[in-house]
Amino acid sequence: MDSGLDNNGPLNRFLAEVERRAFQMAKFATRNRDEALDLVQEAMSQFVRHYSTRPAEEWKVLFYRVLRSRITDWHRRTLVRRRIIAWLGRPNDEDQEDPLQALPDTQNPNPSEQVLRQEERGVLERAIRALPLRQQQAFLLRAWEGMDLKQTAFIMKCSEGSVKTHYSRAVHALRGVLEEKLS
Amino acid sequence: MNAKDPEKLLLEKAKDLLNLGVESLGPQTERQLGDIRIRALSAAEEKRPGSFSPRRWVMVGGLAAATMAAVALFFWLSPSPESLPTGHVEDLEIITSKERMDLYQNMDFYRWLETTENGARKNGKAS
Repeated sequence: MDSGLDNNGPLNRFLAEVERRAFQMAKFATRNRDEALDLVQEAMSQFVRHYSTRPAEEWKVLFYRVLRSRITDWHRRTLVRRRIIAWLGRPNDEDQEDPLQALPDTQNPNPSEQVLRQEERGVLERAIRALPLRQQQAFLLRAWEGMDLKQTAFIMKCSEGSVKTHYSRAVHALRGVLEEKLS
Repeated sequence: MNAKDPEKLLLEKAKDLLNLGVESLGPQTERQLGDIRIRALSAAEEKRPGSFSPRRWVMVGGLAAATMAAVALFFWLSPSPESLPTGHVEDLEIITSKERMDLYQNMDFYRWLETTENGARKNGKAS
C-alpha cells in the first residue's frame, strides 16, 4: 500500500504544490521570511502528523486550516510581545521590510516590464499586508486559493457570514489602494 | 469573463501578481521549503503506528520474552496446591461457618442476657 509519506508519494506532491503559497500567506501575516518558514514548518508537521490518513481531496482545506491556526497563534504571541516591548520602551524592529523582497529578478529578459511588474507586485503585497489579519486571510483564501464560502469558513473557524464580511471589506480596501496605483 | 466588471479585473490582476510572487521566491527559499517538507514527512514516517523499524521489533521481542520469563518464574516459585497446610483449610471452615454468623447476629440477645444475669446476682447479694 502507498503510505503517501515517502518522497514520491501523493502527500509529498501535495505539500510541494502548496508550500510556496503557504509560505507567501505566512509571510503576508508575519512580514518576516524566517518567521514564515517556521510557521510553514509547524503547519506541515502538524498536518502530516494528524491528517495524512484523511482522503486526499480533504488535504488542501485541512492544511490551510492548520496553517491559519498557526498564523493566528503567532499573531497572538506577537501582539503580547509587542505590548511588553512597548511597555519596556525598547524599539521594535519586526515591522521592517524583508530585504530579499527588494532584490531584482535577474531571470526576466525584459527589464522594463519586469520593473513595472515588481512595482505592481510591491503595491499589492503592501496593501495585503496592511489589511487586518482576518480580512487578509479571507481575501487570500477566496480570491487566490479559490476556496468557496463554506471551505473558507471551515478554515477560518467562523461563520460564512463572517467570511463574506471580511472578504468584502478586504476587497473594498484593496480596490481603494490598487485602482489608483495599478490603473 | 465579463471584461467590463472592474472588480473581476482587479481580482484577476491581484491573482496574477500573487502568482508572480510565488514564482520568484528565490532558490534559497525554495530549497528551505523543500527541506522543511522532507523533514515533516520523515518525522511522520518515524512516528507512524504500524511502520515498525527493526529496532522497534527487537524492543517488542525483548519485552515479550521478559514477560514470558517472569510468568514462568512465577509458576515455578509458587507453592503447589498439594503442599497447602491443613491449618489453612480449618481456618477457611471457621470463616465460612454458619454458627459464627448466628453468634454475631444474636449478639444483642447475649448482651441483654449477661446484663440480666449480672443484675440478678447483684440483687441476690444485696438481699
